[in-house]
Amino acid sequence: MKKTSLFTICLTIFIVSWIFLRFVMGGIISAPIPNSVIAMYMGLILIAILVHVSVEDSRFTEFLRPVHETLVDDSKRTRRLVLVILIPLLMCGFSYTHIAQKTSPLGDPRQAHPKPPLELTYKDIVIDTMQDAQNPYRHYEKDDPELFKEHVDNGRRVYYQNCFYCHGDHLDGKGHFATALNPLPANFQDPGIIPNYQESFFFWRISKGGPGLPPAGTPWNTAMPIWEDFLTQEEIWDVIIFLSEYTGYTYRTFGEGH
Amino acid sequence: MRITMLTFTSLLILACVVPHPSYAQETPEGSLIGKQIYDKSCAHCHGLEGRGDGSAAENLLPRPRDFTRGLYKIRSTESGQLPTDKDLFDIITVGMPGTSMPEWETSLDVKEREEVVKYIKTFYSGFQENENPPREISLDDKIPYSQESVEIGKDLYVELGCVECHGKLGRGDGTSAPTLVDAWDFKTWPANLTENWNFRGGSDSEDIFKRFIGGIAGSPMPAFQGDTFYHFGLTAEQSEQYATLEKKVEDGEELTTEEEERAAQYFEINDTAATAALDWAEGLEMSPETLKIYNDAMKVVYEKSWHLANYVKSLSPEKRPDFAIGKHVLRSQYLQGELPALTDETWNTLDYSYYPLIGQIVVEPRQFNPSIDAVNVKSFYNDTEVAFLFSWDDKTHNTSEEENEETGKTYEDAIAIQFPVKPRKGPTDPKPYFIFGGRKPVYLWQWKASAPDTLTELTAKGINNVEEQEVQGDFAVESDYTDGRYMLWVKRSLKTDDKKDLQLDVATFVPIAFSVWDGGNGDIDTKRVISSWYSFVLEPLPSTRRFIYPPLVALLSFGLLVGLRRIVQRRNS
Repeated sequence: MKKTSLFTICLTIFIVSWIFLRFVMGGIISAPIPNSVIAMYMGLILIAILVHVSVEDSRFTEFLRPVHETLVDDSKRTRRLVLVILIPLLMCGFSYTHIAQKTSPLGDPRQAHPKPPLELTYKDIVIDTMQDAQNPYRHYEKDDPELFKEHVDNGRRVYYQNCFYCHGDHLDGKGHFATALNPLPANFQDPGIIPNYQESFFFWRISKGGPGLPPAGTPWNTAMPIWEDFLTQEEIWDVIIFLSEYTGYTYRTFGEGH
Repeated sequence: MRITMLTFTSLLILACVVPHPSYAQETPEGSLIGKQIYDKSCAHCHGLEGRGDGSAAENLLPRPRDFTRGLYKIRSTESGQLPTDKDLFDIITVGMPGTSMPEWETSLDVKEREEVVKYIKTFYSGFQENENPPREISLDDKIPYSQESVEIGKDLYVELGCVECHGKLGRGDGTSAPTLVDAWDFKTWPANLTENWNFRGGSDSEDIFKRFIGGIAGSPMPAFQGDTFYHFGLTAEQSEQYATLEKKVEDGEELTTEEEERAAQYFEINDTAATAALDWAEGLEMSPETLKIYNDAMKVVYEKSWHLANYVKSLSPEKRPDFAIGKHVLRSQYLQGELPALTDETWNTLDYSYYPLIGQIVVEPRQFNPSIDAVNVKSFYNDTEVAFLFSWDDKTHNTSEEENEETGKTYEDAIAIQFPVKPRKGPTDPKPYFIFGGRKPVYLWQWKASAPDTLTELTAKGINNVEEQEVQGDFAVESDYTDGRYMLWVKRSLKTDDKKDLQLDVATFVPIAFSVWDGGNGDIDTKRVISSWYSFVLEPLPSTRRFIYPPLVALLSFGLLVGLRRIVQRRNS
C-alpha cells in the first residue's frame, strides 16, 4: 500500500482544522467565530506545521517532494494542468465576491450586564444600596407561606397584565410582541438570567426600564418601559417573586458578610 | 424473558378490552392534574372558572375564550357541534397564531395537555350530556389545489358575499368590517386573508375548508350550511337562474307567469333543503328522502367550499416575510434619470423590505392590541433626489372625522418615518431613543390621511415633546388607499439647505424607524404601533473594480505558478 505523503497529511490537518473551527466549534458547539479569530488560529496551525516539517532537512525535502513532483515531473502532467487552471479561477472568484459584497450598517455593541447604580431607588425614593436592598416580602416564604402565596399570585397578575406581551406566556422571552423587538426581551427560563442577579438588580431593571440604562449599556434601543410609572413598589417586588416561583430558579444572594 | 412477554401480551389484551375514554366528560374532580396545570398556566387569561375573564383578559383582543358556552372556533366538526378532544388538544399544542395564545408543546407534555383538555371540558355542561362524539367534517371529496379551482373560487368569493367583510382583495377591509362583534359583544375583525400565517387552525386548503363547513363558533363568520348558505339546495345552474330572477325583481321588472312559477319552485327547493339541514343539525330522525335532499344540497356546498378554500389559500404569499431583526437594511437603489412616480411600473422591479410593528406600551395611552403588524418599504435614488414607497395594510380608512373628547385630537390614519437628527459618529455612538427620541433628538416625516398630499417635518425629543419644524422642506407626496392598503410615495432632494433636515450621502447608513396609527383601532397620539431602529442606505453602484481586479488576480497567480515551475526546473538542471 502506498504510504500517504507528509504533504497530504499536513494539508488534511490544515483543512480539517478549518472545518472544525468554522462549522463545528463555531456553529454546533458555540456561536459562530469571527473570521479574524479563525485566521489567527489558522496562522498558528500553519506555523506549527512549518516548524514540524522543517526541523530536519530530510523531513523538509520529503514534505516538499509532492509539490516538487507536481511542478516538474512529466508523470504529473494532468494534475499540473488541473491546478494551473483551478487555482487562478478560485483566486478570481474569491476576489470578485470580496469586491462585490454589500456593505453592512454599523453594529450595535451591547453590554450584556449593564452596571447598576450604587443606590436602588423607586421614583426618587432611595430604598437601600444596590448591594443590601432586599425583597421585603421574600421572608414570608419561610415565615408565612400563606401570605407568600398571595404575593406570588399578585406577581402573576402583574406579569400577565403587563409583561407577557414581550416576555411571553412561558417566560421565555417569546411573547407575541417579541418578534419586532431588537434587542429581544429577556428570557427568564435561561439559566444564565435569574441565578446571576440579585433581586435588587431586577428591581432596578424593571423600575427604570430601557431609558434607565447607563450610557455604556448603549441604551435607547431596548423597549423595556419605565415600570415605576405604572407599578407600585410592592407590585414590582411581587412580580420578581413570581418570576423565580414560576421558573424554579433562585436569585443570586450574597452570603453572610458578603 | 417469558414473564416480560406475558406482561406485554396481557397489557395488549387489556388495551383492547378497556374501552376508550368516553367523549362525555366526567366531573371536575375527574382531572385534578388538569386543574393544577390550568390554574397555573391558563387561568390568568381564561379565568379560574373558565369564563375568559382572567386578569390579563381586559387588554387582549381577541379576548381569551370563554369555555362556559361550548363555543369553539377551531373544530374539525360540523356546524353547531362541539369540538373533538383532538381539536382542543391541537389548539393547546400549536396555539392560536396572531393572538396572545401561545403554543404549549414546549412546556406541557402530551399527558399534561390531555389532562388540560379533560379539565377544560368540565366548564361546559354540554360535554357531559353528549354521550356520542361530535360529527366530523368529511374531507373525502377534496378538490386538489389548481389554478382552475382557484379561478372558480374567485367568483364564489364575490357570489357568497365574502367581500362584505373580508374586502375585495381579502385584506379584511370589507364595508362591514368595522361593525363586527362576537357572541360576547367584543369587537372582532375579519381575518386578513393575505396573511395566512395568522390563520388560527392552519393555512392548508383543508383547514380553511373546515372553517367554512364548521363555521367559526362565536364569531360572525357563518358556517356554510342550511339557511346560511347562498341558494342552499339548488344546483349551480338553478342557482344562476334563480339569481337572474331575483335580480329582475330587485330592479322592479315584472316577471312572466312562467318565471314566477319557476321562482316559486326554486324557493320551494331552497326551503325544503334548509328545513332538512335544520333536522340534520338537531340530530333528528330523517326519512331517506329528506336525507337525500340534504346530502345532495351539501354536495354542492362542499364542492364550492373546496374551490373557495383553494382561492383563499392562493391569496397569501408562499412564505411569511422574514423577521430577521436588525438585519433588514432598507437599500435605496440607484436609477439614472427621473425617479418613478407612485404608480410607475419601475417599482415592481424592487422587492419590499419588511418591518414588523408592535403596540407602543411604554407611555400612556398605550396600544395593547395593534391592528397593523408591518410596514413595507422600497426606495430609489438618483444623483439629486430620493424616492420612497411605503405600504401598509389597514382595514379601515380614517380621516379626521372623529375627535377625542379630552384632547381634541383626531382618530386618523397616519405614519411617521423617523431618523436621528445628527448622523451617528461610530458604532459606540448611541442612537436616539427609539420612540421619538430623548436626550438625543430625532427628525421625522409625518403624513396624515386627512392631508394625503403633504408631509410635515417634525423634530422630537421624546414622545410628548414634538415640534413642527419652522421651515418646512420641499416634498413631492402622493398617496392612495385602495382595498385595505395604504401606499405613500415621497420624493425629496438628497441635500437640503435646512440644517435640521436629514442630509443623505451615498453609502452612509442612517438609522430609520416607523410609527403607524390606525384611527379605526383607536390609535391616537402615543397609542400607536412602532418599530425598532433599522438602517437605511443609498446603495452605491457596484464598483467597476469588480471587473478589473479579479482577472488581474487570476493572471498574477497563474504567473506565479509558472514562475515557480521555472525556478524548480532551473534548480534541477
